[in-house]
Amino acid sequence: MTTGSYIWWCDRIIRCKTWRWEAEDGDRDESGSPVSRLASVRIRAGPQCRRRAGNRRPAAGVTRAFAPARKPAILAAVDSAPSSARTAGLPTAGRLAVEALAAAALTAALFALCTRVGPLSIDGGRWWSDPVWMLRAMRLAAAAAAGAGLAVAGAAIQGLLRNPLGDPYVLGIASGAGVGVRAGLALGAWAGWIAWRTPAFAFVGALVAAASVHAVARRRGRVDPFSLILAGVIVNILNGALIMALYLATDPLRVDEFARWAMGELPEAVDPSLLAVCGGLVLGAWAAAFRRAGALNALGLGDDVARSLGVPVGALRVEIFVGSALATAAAVALAGPVSFVGLMVPHVVRLATGPDHRRVLLLSGFGGAVLMIAAETLCRGIGPHLGAGRLPVGLLTALLGAPFFIALLRRRFAEEDA
Amino acid sequence: MNAAISARGLAFAYRPAEPVLRGVDLDARAGELVCILGPNGGGKTTLLRCLLGLAAPSGGTVTIDGRPLAGLRARERARRLAYVPQTPGSAFAFSAREIVLMGRLSHLGALGLAGAQDLEIVRAAMEMTGTEALAGRTLDELSGGEAQRVMIARALAQQPTILLLDEPTSHLDLRQQGSVTSMLRRVAHDWPMAVLCVSHDLNVAAAFADRLVLVAGGRIAADGPPADVLRPDLLREVYGIDVDLVPRPGSGPPLVVARVPA
Repeated sequence: MTTGSYIWWCDRIIRCKTWRWEAEDGDRDESGSPVSRLASVRIRAGPQCRRRAGNRRPAAGVTRAFAPARKPAILAAVDSAPSSARTAGLPTAGRLAVEALAAAALTAALFALCTRVGPLSIDGGRWWSDPVWMLRAMRLAAAAAAGAGLAVAGAAIQGLLRNPLGDPYVLGIASGAGVGVRAGLALGAWAGWIAWRTPAFAFVGALVAAASVHAVARRRGRVDPFSLILAGVIVNILNGALIMALYLATDPLRVDEFARWAMGELPEAVDPSLLAVCGGLVLGAWAAAFRRAGALNALGLGDDVARSLGVPVGALRVEIFVGSALATAAAVALAGPVSFVGLMVPHVVRLATGPDHRRVLLLSGFGGAVLMIAAETLCRGIGPHLGAGRLPVGLLTALLGAPFFIALLRRRFAEEDA
Repeated sequence: MNAAISARGLAFAYRPAEPVLRGVDLDARAGELVCILGPNGGGKTTLLRCLLGLAAPSGGTVTIDGRPLAGLRARERARRLAYVPQTPGSAFAFSAREIVLMGRLSHLGALGLAGAQDLEIVRAAMEMTGTEALAGRTLDELSGGEAQRVMIARALAQQPTILLLDEPTSHLDLRQQGSVTSMLRRVAHDWPMAVLCVSHDLNVAAAFADRLVLVAGGRIAADGPPADVLRPDLLREVYGIDVDLVPRPGSGPPLVVARVPA
């Protein structure tokens, strides 16, 4: 036991005495061999302890007064000691910062690389002023923002619902946003500036879809995973019908653009102000979700335990649903209803980092951006070879995501049968 | 007596016609291990939920360290009251150390990131509960008793003054029951902390609690040291069954044995 924790316990435990925890006779580990788990904890009476030993009973609120306010000087020395063993695997501020910087550098490098790759060549000397490069950079930035938004929304919803099958597309939130986007465009010029109008309509659509799915699947205060997916199927069918109705009402000259949008394709030229607004919304939702990461972790232990840990569960639920709807709306306003990004990315991140939501939420944003940048570049690159001109990125994510979803579902069945 | 947690005239009803609690008075001091016993449906779990602030009582008050529970903000409440549920469970594959770190949630800053002191407290809580060797394992990889000890370590990391547990030993075998109950005794007496357990096993509770509280029909039927509460007449009245008391081998309060109808 380090001196730091020893003094900490001396402070906390008023009556100083020896603590000892011993493995009982016959304790065995999983392999069946006897365990010598003799983590004996001794708290000897140190000077700090004696000073407080007269206080037999703690005053009311001793916990509050004691803990965060003053830090024993000795702890500072302990902090500088090698701490890899103490903090192994835990997301401390420094470790998260390193991981975020590494992920950001990787994303930026991929972005820089992909802006130079494509069917059209770029003037090598002054590439930054080449219009092909600028259009491509805008499109890839939009892809990154959309991917980050969907992945963060997926990670937050999975955490909130304690359900690894949660995803803004599967639950119908993305198609709701899609109805909003097309309704906004169908209303024409009077509804205002496109950069605000499109995400605003998408947000309303996403929120309506999220609320209805949740209301349908909720039973006695609990949200059953499979009811949720069924509710998502129903809402997706309804939204699909609404989008088709809007398709019929579209100007015949814009029918091709509509069809490509509905498959999940980024426009050739992204509106810069739309990109700025939607990118900002994604960043805001990402930061808001990250702030609630600890609460989402606690929610994993059940509503009651989360409440006892100080999490306002009802308010958290509303906040996460609204934030996810916002991120999804921004993504759909940019890229159309791109499927399964929100399902796949958090899972892959969780496999790599473990389930702590601080990590999952932080890194899923970058993961979604990386996936969408790579998928968009791939679609643009292979499209001409297939004689298709360009392929919608939503096609590729659907081809990847559907088997992924089936594999997850099968694994869940296997776990439940075990 | 300066009570860490105290309830006065506590009433609760899911439906107005069927009150579950009808005026419960209960006090617990720091350094005291109290077991709440009683027949199924008698209101003991509801009482625990009211004491925790998970259920809003329809009448009466709960005070924590002299302050009304209803007036505490969620974070303040979490720094005073910790709760261990009946069955430990986690939706995600958190390691034991990550679960214990969750106990620090109400002490963390705006970004929710753990500092060096939080990690020390986590480590000390795990040492105290003998769960250090389990730090990297997930709940699924632990036995029932080990998982329960991890959940208790998580509660201790909250640095509460009051610890409430719902049937902490009901799923455990004899040896694990012993390890959890002796740990709870140490926490209650040496921290010192007020520990309240809901339990249905009279004999286990009598062996490790300082005080037994018998809840039946939404009221306190008896409250006192085990020897005073375990009376055949009282138990017959509360449980509606004849019981015999036999001396416990060694020492301690007598054992309650239900008479099997012939």
